[in-house]
Amino acid sequence: MSIGASGVRAYQTALTTVADNIANTGTAGYARRSTDMREIAAPGGITNNRDPNTGSGVLATGLSRSVDQFRTADVRSASADLARSETGIDWLGRVQSALTGNQLGDRLTGFFTSANAVAADPTATAPRSAMLESASAAAGAFAATGKALDNVAADLDGTADNAVSTLDALGAALARINDGLGRSAQGSGARANLLDQRDQLLEQMSAITDVNVTTDDIGRSTVRLGGATGPLFVAGNDAGNVTYVRGDSGAVSFAVHRSGSSTTFSPTGGALAGVVDAAARITSARDQLDRIASDFATGVNAVQAQGRDLDGNAGAAMFATGTAPTDLSLVLTDPRGIAAAGVGGGPRDNSNLVAFASLRSGGGFEASTTALVSDNAATLAARKQVAEAQGAIRDGAISARDAASGVNLDSEAVDLMRFQQAYSASSRVIQVARETLQSILDIR
Amino acid sequence: MQVSTNRFYETSGSLMQKLSQQADTLNTQIASTKKFAAPSDDVVAYQRLTTIKQADADATSYGANITLAQSLLDQSDTTLGSVESQLQRASELAVSANNGTLNDGDRQAIATELQGILTSVVALANTRDARGQALFGAATGNGGVVQAADGSMTFDGSGSPASIPVADGVSIQPTEGAARVFGGIPAAGGGTTDVFATLQGMVAALQNNDTAAISSASGDVTAALSQIGAMRGSLGARSANLDLQRNQATDAASARETTRSAIEDTDVTTAITQLQKTMTVLQATQASFTKLSSLSLFDYLK
Repeated sequence: MSIGASGVRAYQTALTTVADNIANTGTAGYARRSTDMREIAAPGGITNNRDPNTGSGVLATGLSRSVDQFRTADVRSASADLARSETGIDWLGRVQSALTGNQLGDRLTGFFTSANAVAADPTATAPRSAMLESASAAAGAFAATGKALDNVAADLDGTADNAVSTLDALGAALARINDGLGRSAQGSGARANLLDQRDQLLEQMSAITDVNVTTDDIGRSTVRLGGATGPLFVAGNDAGNVTYVRGDSGAVSFAVHRSGSSTTFSPTGGALAGVVDAAARITSARDQLDRIASDFATGVNAVQAQGRDLDGNAGAAMFATGTAPTDLSLVLTDPRGIAAAGVGGGPRDNSNLVAFASLRSGGGFEASTTALVSDNAATLAARKQVAEAQGAIRDGAISARDAASGVNLDSEAVDLMRFQQAYSASSRVIQVARETLQSILDIR
Repeated sequence: MQVSTNRFYETSGSLMQKLSQQADTLNTQIASTKKFAAPSDDVVAYQRLTTIKQADADATSYGANITLAQSLLDQSDTTLGSVESQLQRASELAVSANNGTLNDGDRQAIATELQGILTSVVALANTRDARGQALFGAATGNGGVVQAADGSMTFDGSGSPASIPVADGVSIQPTEGAARVFGGIPAAGGGTTDVFATLQGMVAALQNNDTAAISSASGDVTAALSQIGAMRGSLGARSANLDLQRNQATDAASARETTRSAIEDTDVTTAITQLQKTMTVLQATQASFTKLSSLSLFDYLK
């Protein structure tokens, strides 16, 4: 009768676990659980007079999570790789919009072609005014493109700060889970829950940066950032803080502060690595744009200075540069001031305008602008392809992990029927045992 | 391999999303008639399109210049044609004036007509062009010729009129300075003279009945005629060159347009076929997803 009772108890637990699995089918990070059962061995021997060949029933010893640590680690590294590419794509896309949004190349072309109209009719005011307008548009395009890049850089800083504080929060949560794991009982539901949360936190962390995880016997994890030799981030009940710094040169760096010391690390995966890539790209785009802007302003002003305006005076500077090299502004406001004529050429002369044409071909501003955009676009296109492959790898890794730890309703239904039958059978055993005993009692 | 229920829904969801995205991209390509939305869609195409766009902008500005240069050349040619007929008439008058049978009255009449011719030629030399500038103006100065209070003529300014850029590295000078058109004529008596001095000299010679001077002036008019004829020839050659440039520009523009269209225009037939295919696949996926998701063992648990 006690054997039957043990079966009823055990299968009740098993049914609860199945119900739990079914209820959590859609829960993110939930790993399928199963009830561990063990036969209660008969403590046969000479001290009691029970038959050593009969068992004593079944015991539900606890819960076990169906997880494959290696597949979980695969998902983590695939997520880190994908997050790096996706962050890169996101920011390179924004750099692309910043570079193309103001149509700098078109404005430069407009400026140089407007000089052709002045050459056709040097004394007329209309083409000169049109040239000044297009000069103003070109200056505006430089300034706006520069601002747009600055905004992207500022947004990048904001995003990196957010990512870093999220990482801190995840680290603190993981430290608390380590603490909880230290105190939880082996095989308990609470423990399984903590382990689920641990795996989920680690996956979220690896989307931010590449983490190196080692776990001890009771499941507490030690996390290093930036590879196996990187600084300790979470160990035991103690988590560090991550800081993000952008240097003067535009390069970014990350450091972990933990127990009084601070160590820098270079993320090679996750969103933080994407941020590093994007920062480098923004800096180089900014440098190139600065160079094009200052070459353009200097070149145009030099051409102006070597020519004569409509009144026979040496041409005044057309552009002034603000704090940043791209902050160009048009300082020449009088259309008569355009130095179309050569020295001593008179008002009908247009010989100095040829110098604009040679400045255009020699300076290659339009080509440099196109190169700036297409360099970025080529990297972006390559990243997109890589990300597609990495997405497929990650999908594969998740499928493999879920094959081990995901809940399938059909197999739960099978388990449900199995344990229900076993439960009914166990209760039947009790009934039979009672009836058997009764038949002995009924002997008169 | 066991597929977890959660994974089944996620995978189906992302697959259908991808198909919708594809359909949307194709739809945008058809609606905008452009294959690319951003440089990163095709970097090589972007570079080529940028070059084509720049060439188009250049061609537009050169096109305006070609039109202006053509009108200036035409105007120069017509004006010089009028000058030519005026000088032709002067030459005829010189021949008839050389006839010894003329009386003072006849010569005076001829002198008056020549004076009229001179006034017309001065007016023609100071013709204004479409830009409001002197057609035969030099690089400096405002007009073609200036008449001093004593009636003597000087050319205003010096240097050749500016050339107009009509293509990369090609520029055409659509007119000539008055000094080169009307001056520098080899005189019968050695040295050079100009049209105005010749006509003025002829008028004076008629008034003084100086037959020798009339005869030499007649020679100078003939020399002036041949110089203006040569000038018209030169302008005609420039006009022909300009036509060549215009034709080249037109050919290049249509070649660019063909290239541009091949690079960036959506092939509507292909795009619609692909869209249809994507939609069919999407519908099939939706149908199979509905079938699969309605399949559950729990339905049979009674």
